Amino acid sequence: MTSGYGRFALARAGQAAVVVLLAYVLTFLVISVLPGDAITNSLRDPQSGLSEADIQRIVQYYGLDQPVLVQLALSLGRFLTGELGFSLQSNLPVAQIVGDALPSTLTLASTALAIAVVFAIGIAYGAHYAPPRWAGVLRSIPSFFLSVPNFVIGLVLIELFAFRLHAFTTTDPNSATATLFAAVTLAIPVSAPLAEVLIASLDHESRQEYALVARSRGLAETQLFARHLVKPSALPSVAMVALIMGELLGGSVITETIFGRDGIGTVVQKAVTGEDQPVLQAVVSLSAVVFVAVNLAADLLTPLLDPRVNVREEANA
Amino acid sequence: MSADLNFARLRSAGAASLRTRAGVPPTVLVSFLVVLVVVLWSLFPSLFTGYSPVNGDTGSKLDAPSLQHWFGTDYLGRDQYARVVYGTASSVTSALVAVAIGLLVGSAIGLASGFRGGWLDSTLGRLVDMLLAIPGFLLAVVIVSSLGFQTINAAIATGVSAVAVFARLMRAEVIRVRRSAFVEASYLEGGNRLQALLTHVLPNAYRSVLVLAVLQFGTSILVIASLAFLGYGDPPPSSDWGLLVASGKTYVTAPWLVYAPALVIVATVLSINRISRWLRNSK
Repeated sequence: MTSGYGRFALARAGQAAVVVLLAYVLTFLVISVLPGDAITNSLRDPQSGLSEADIQRIVQYYGLDQPVLVQLALSLGRFLTGELGFSLQSNLPVAQIVGDALPSTLTLASTALAIAVVFAIGIAYGAHYAPPRWAGVLRSIPSFFLSVPNFVIGLVLIELFAFRLHAFTTTDPNSATATLFAAVTLAIPVSAPLAEVLIASLDHESRQEYALVARSRGLAETQLFARHLVKPSALPSVAMVALIMGELLGGSVITETIFGRDGIGTVVQKAVTGEDQPVLQAVVSLSAVVFVAVNLAADLLTPLLDPRVNVREEANA
Repeated sequence: MSADLNFARLRSAGAASLRTRAGVPPTVLVSFLVVLVVVLWSLFPSLFTGYSPVNGDTGSKLDAPSLQHWFGTDYLGRDQYARVVYGTASSVTSALVAVAIGLLVGSAIGLASGFRGGWLDSTLGRLVDMLLAIPGFLLAVVIVSSLGFQTINAAIATGVSAVAVFARLMRAEVIRVRRSAFVEASYLEGGNRLQALLTHVLPNAYRSVLVLAVLQFGTSILVIASLAFLGYGDPPPSSDWGLLVASGKTYVTAPWLVYAPALVIVATVLSINRISRWLRNSK
């Protein structure tokens, strides 16, 4: 068992490393090859306020006068040693820009995640135990949540709670209430797939023999839910954690824009409008690292949480 | 107990399941109706409104919804309903382009890796992992920023970020079908790989991929609207749905400018999702 698991873990970690490298290369190629020469365009832009010496230094640093493959090797080498380069807009180190924006986004994303989990559990529990009429309504909620664009939720919440009820002001986006509403905006689309998976696995688990045995021994439904059904039903959602991270990161671009928060999403938006390639490259590849790492952790945890998962089969998949 | 089981009861025993299979639920009918209206809007916008989406009547700026102007008017006195109707073509067509890209490229990858297996499968598998590793919306943003801010580029970006999902599903379906007895039988009858692929594997694998395509159509409308909302689509005076919401949000006193296009987006995507769910359950 241990050696089997060890081999499985090693294989998965190797795959994860390859995927991160590939994602970096893909991002680099998309950003630097497709538009021709955006990086020098934005450098030559007289409004950038860079002197000729500055430009020379940046061209030198990124190897812009050399072939793309050399630039890629240079950039990838720096990335592997943890060096993210400098912003073309502000000349600040990218690591500093990302580091400054990160706490705000982390607060937003973790609050959103907590809200999404609460929503999902509430919907799934209701869909399973509420009277049939309400259960049907609750079962269709995830599909409704998936049909409303993020920006519409945000605008409606701002219109209702900021402009009409004055629960918060958009001029102070970092206040607790404003953060809460921003988090709800981000949480609603995230909670939908989570609720769907929870409902499906709850349906599945409650039909298993062990649930039947527990019921026939006189265990009440609520006790059965709390003691026996929650753990196995939550397992498939562990595999979704990585997916949810991606949703949270992608959604933060829109949510932060609407609520006027300064975070990773705003950094991305500024980098896109300013054609700030090093910043874009860093944010995208760092989010790939986070995604792959979370995915790896979920993969490695699943066989430990659920002994039914066969490690050897998984390693070959 | 057994006395109750007369012939009439036995004959109607399967009726309940027959009914559910034959009849289309009313919500699905409404959904088809909504999609039909949207398709007609995009094909023949001028049949649905007499107003121009570009030229407004400056005398009636920011009017509230009325019988003349169903969705009100914007800051230039343009009819918001006309702008929504004329914006349909690019909002919906671009979503179709996105789905087509995801479907074709993704299915090809999934088909190749599921059918061929071996080194090709593991190579393509890592490529798909690579696409999945970058959050979909972020990938779309990066691609569209690279290609340039146009709706068609937003469509391409959305399509590329959907490739991985299609590839995964197609691969799983092909592997499921490939191992079944009738495919092996076709080899025994002297059929070659290509024949087996075209006549047996594809027809049996495409169904769930099609369901995903319908679902992805709704998702693509949302993603493209989000990109347009951020200003990464065609610039004004074009009137993509997402752009309409973005430009409407400036006018706090005229909330209908936001709500009308937003409702159209929600109704469309909700209908498409409902149809996709119905297709999935009735197969």
